[in-house]
Amino acid sequence: MKKVFSILLITAMVLSLTACGSKNAGGADGDEKVLRLALNADIVSMDAHVTSNDYIVPMNVFDSLLTIEKEEDGSTKIVPSLAESYEISDDGLTYSFKLRDGVVFSDGTPLTADDVKFTFERILTLPESVQTDFVVLIDGAEDLMAGKADSLKGIDVKDDHNFTITLSASFSGFLAQLATPSTCIYSRKIVTEAGGDFGNICEKTIGTGPYIIKEWERGKSLTFEANPKYWGEAPSAKKVVASVMDPSAMNMAFQKGDLDIIDCIFLDPNVVDSTYRNGKYDDSMVKVDRMGTNFFMLNEAVPPLDNPQVRQAIQMAIDRQSILDSIYNGDGKLEDGIYPTGCVIYSNENQGWLKYDPEGAKKLLGDAGFADGFDMEISLDSSAGNQNSNMVQVIQDNLAKVGINASIKSYDRASYLDLRNSGKAPSYLALWLLDYNDPDNIIYTFFGSKDNTVLRSNNYQDEEVIKRIGDARQIVDPDERAAEYAAIEKKLVQEDAVWVPMFSLKHLFIKGDRVESFKPQWAGWSDMYYKDIVLK
Amino acid sequence: MTVSGIIKRIGGVFLVLLGVMLLIFIMLRIIPGDPVSVMLSEHVSQETIDRIKISMGLDRSLPAQFFSYLKGAVRGDLGESYFLKEPVVDLIAEAFPYTLKLAVFAALIAWAFGIISGMICAMFNNSFPDYLFRGLSLFGVSVPIFMVALCLQYLLYFKLSVFPLSYDGSFGSMVLPAIALGWNSAGSVARLTRSSLMEQLGSPYIDTAMAKGLSYKGAVIKHAFRNAMLPIVTMMALQFSGMLSGAVITESIFSIPGIGKLALTAIQTRDMPLLQGTVLFTAFLIAIGNLLADVLNALLDPRISVS
Amino acid sequence: MKVKDFIRNRMAFFSAVIIILIVLFSLVIPAISGFDPAGQDLSSRLCPPDSVHFFGTDELGRDVLTRLFYGTRISLLVALIPTAISVLIGMILGITGAYCGKWVDFMIMWLADVTLSVPGMLLAMVVLYSFGGSFISVFLSLVILEWGSIARIVRSSALSIQESEFITAARTMGVRSLSIILRHILPNLIPTIIVLFTLNIPTSILSESALSFLGIGIQPPGVSLGLMVNQSRQFLFDMPWLALAPAGMIMILVLAFHFLGDALRDILDPRSDI
Repeated sequence: MKKVFSILLITAMVLSLTACGSKNAGGADGDEKVLRLALNADIVSMDAHVTSNDYIVPMNVFDSLLTIEKEEDGSTKIVPSLAESYEISDDGLTYSFKLRDGVVFSDGTPLTADDVKFTFERILTLPESVQTDFVVLIDGAEDLMAGKADSLKGIDVKDDHNFTITLSASFSGFLAQLATPSTCIYSRKIVTEAGGDFGNICEKTIGTGPYIIKEWERGKSLTFEANPKYWGEAPSAKKVVASVMDPSAMNMAFQKGDLDIIDCIFLDPNVVDSTYRNGKYDDSMVKVDRMGTNFFMLNEAVPPLDNPQVRQAIQMAIDRQSILDSIYNGDGKLEDGIYPTGCVIYSNENQGWLKYDPEGAKKLLGDAGFADGFDMEISLDSSAGNQNSNMVQVIQDNLAKVGINASIKSYDRASYLDLRNSGKAPSYLALWLLDYNDPDNIIYTFFGSKDNTVLRSNNYQDEEVIKRIGDARQIVDPDERAAEYAAIEKKLVQEDAVWVPMFSLKHLFIKGDRVESFKPQWAGWSDMYYKDIVLK
Repeated sequence: MTVSGIIKRIGGVFLVLLGVMLLIFIMLRIIPGDPVSVMLSEHVSQETIDRIKISMGLDRSLPAQFFSYLKGAVRGDLGESYFLKEPVVDLIAEAFPYTLKLAVFAALIAWAFGIISGMICAMFNNSFPDYLFRGLSLFGVSVPIFMVALCLQYLLYFKLSVFPLSYDGSFGSMVLPAIALGWNSAGSVARLTRSSLMEQLGSPYIDTAMAKGLSYKGAVIKHAFRNAMLPIVTMMALQFSGMLSGAVITESIFSIPGIGKLALTAIQTRDMPLLQGTVLFTAFLIAIGNLLADVLNALLDPRISVS
Repeated sequence: MKVKDFIRNRMAFFSAVIIILIVLFSLVIPAISGFDPAGQDLSSRLCPPDSVHFFGTDELGRDVLTRLFYGTRISLLVALIPTAISVLIGMILGITGAYCGKWVDFMIMWLADVTLSVPGMLLAMVVLYSFGGSFISVFLSLVILEWGSIARIVRSSALSIQESEFITAARTMGVRSLSIILRHILPNLIPTIIVLFTLNIPTSILSESALSFLGIGIQPPGVSLGLMVNQSRQFLFDMPWLALAPAGMIMILVLAFHFLGDALRDILDPRSDI
């Protein structure tokens, strides 16, 4: 028996040795130009058309027609990428593009105007597409989606390099939409040949971007290599390895020098404070404004939140500055509206009106007939992390001080999303990060249609305002547009108190010793353009 | 255990698997949330939700979904993952080697430590080595596994740079997760070995053996240990199948893309085909583990004859 | 009598004293500490231990000592109630299976096998996702995790008791089943059940902390030891008091119940291997 056991033991050991011993530890081995990064979760797909959360592959392996540059003063500018130049007709409906010369996909297939048409048609016709909102304004898009047409009427391919896009209604945010990774350009030939493998198998997921996706080990890591056929300037890092890590692992790995950039958003702000804000890392901090609004949503369909006075009282009862200071170490800025700081239409006039005033809140509650307070519920996404849960607990404490008895109910992410989409979440704390720099991106998402108000559990009732939000898209004159958006913002937040605007935050990264310079994504996403990272 | 007994047990395994499928069906009915909401996350619109539900076949009734799944399962087709767009069978086949490697390694570490320290405790009963190893094994059963993992990472990676932080395919990177996973098992094996050996050492045949001139050590190794192995082997078989199926926490801390992590992702994203597949697969492993434990029991126990 | 053995067994006695002390503290300390376990003070966040806050404060300025013992109270409840329920269920089903035999036994054991074959954490997650992170659903998920193995052990003990001659005799004499179970089988099973109960408590405590790790389990603003450890996981090395206090308490509780269970097993000497 003993002999049998020891033989088993030895064979098992040898087996496991040979099985594991062959592979070398990636990253730190000799090669100087390897960039090592961390992801907090694995991606789901490499195909931008079927995921609206995972953009690292679309951002680095593919290119869009246009791209966005951030200026020194924090404003953003739309600049050419695959499209070398463009012209807009006076009515704001027709856009004429000219593609850059000599662009090829990394397998050598040349880029043509037909590929653009193919890409937008695919966004509209792929059954599991999640990006239709980005191109639905193109003329004929509705017909194509409904199966009434075979091709997208609004895109007219003149020759290999020239094409026009015609919209069904003018929309000044359209160029910004073309500058997102959601609308990155695919090749008709490559995608058609790859079929179902496109977006799932690295060798078949071929783009024009600065990197080639080399390996995707599910649940573990993504490996990128510089694309030798890239049309632009060759990126500094020849290879990028992005590994899935737990936050505490990221922290340890960065301090040991096994990671080149750490994204502090994944760490607890208190850890960031004690570990990185002690002067030692001052020169390697990279900060960017997160172009997004944190807000506390109030559901008008849940009494007594249907009473605007009650909602206004809640707005006054929450001590936003102290939440910002204690939970995020003050690293952000209070927001009093809907559009975040940095948004192209940001109304300074709509700022500064909301003050922490528990006494005023109590008085308002008394006027509304709730002098003794009332019970309400806050829905919490339990996967959203300690900060979110701490913020909600402080809000609960704030509300208790004006007599509102708020209870917190936690849900796992899928149940939480289901509840919110059904329009029944009584109140919740969340964040919206801009996909493209236009107020429409945030306001239409939350209040632009009856369906949207249900999906976001605000159940906003004023149909006239909902219609104004839809109409504002089509205003061509910039000043007129700015005035209308500011007016709607004021009506929604100040008069109707649809939500409690909280703050926008700074996004802090720390770069390691091997990194010379690094520009985060313009809106402060965690996903980065790897070509904007320069190694020493 | 007779051959017909074994056949009966195998029949039992199938019945249990059928029960597991039924249980999954009930789970599907009660669990809220759907994959489309998770997929769209913040970027929802009603039109997209409706369209994707149809494309995933989620507009069909639950029983219809379940029975088409059952039909596939009989043919060995476990469907396709909603998110990863790959056959579930392939995903399991990709993930299982990681879990298997981890479990084998963890089991070896845990059992080697557990059995040796259990033996030391029994042989030096109520003296310093006994207290030392008993203390260690109690440490093994009383610390939450994620605390063990974090402390190991801190100490052996961060402070001492002995092992890599997370699994990268190399041999060394397997050590920390294996210790973390085997930690609790080591404690229980040590405790069982000790008590089981003590029981054997109290039996009269050990006195006889020693009277015949065997040394104490010899008696322990030759006679007592063999008899004491019986409950330990049973426990080990159960532990091993447990490790294969229950490494959820270890796999997520050390970023090992194994079965546990796959199942965790599946349930969090409501990827039902993937969840059904992984649960069925692990249930199968556990059932096999139980069967193996019984067979080993029969082989080792002289009182149960093998025909 | 057994009580004398118990006092003589130093380990068991010591463990029992510790458990009683912890229970007393968990009842008394939150009441007399002068702090509310949920009382926030954002101006004194993450204070290291000092003379006001013996164990420091957490990230919302709440007193860790008060929360520690309040959390212990909750964790003890989470350990005791589901364990009691699962022992009760396991006992009833185990005895029924053993006594009735045939298809009743088969069905019960099949049910136990099915629940034991699904990875426990996944099963617990389904329950917790379905009913939210409330007390009741944590209880329910722990019961589902535990009842199967208890039923198995009770059943095999009951089977071996049943084999004894006086029960066969009672059965042939036509004594009513219920009275055989209550008069003869149950009293003989009591040692097994006591030991099972004691040894399952530490399992429940550890399971609860594992659930917290996965972000399910007791949810904030509730407090439990597992939740406290998990929330302070990130601070483990910067502000160790936050994690070490609840982790240490988990260890002490688990060890004390383990020792107690072991000692009870030695003293009561139940029939089967547990």
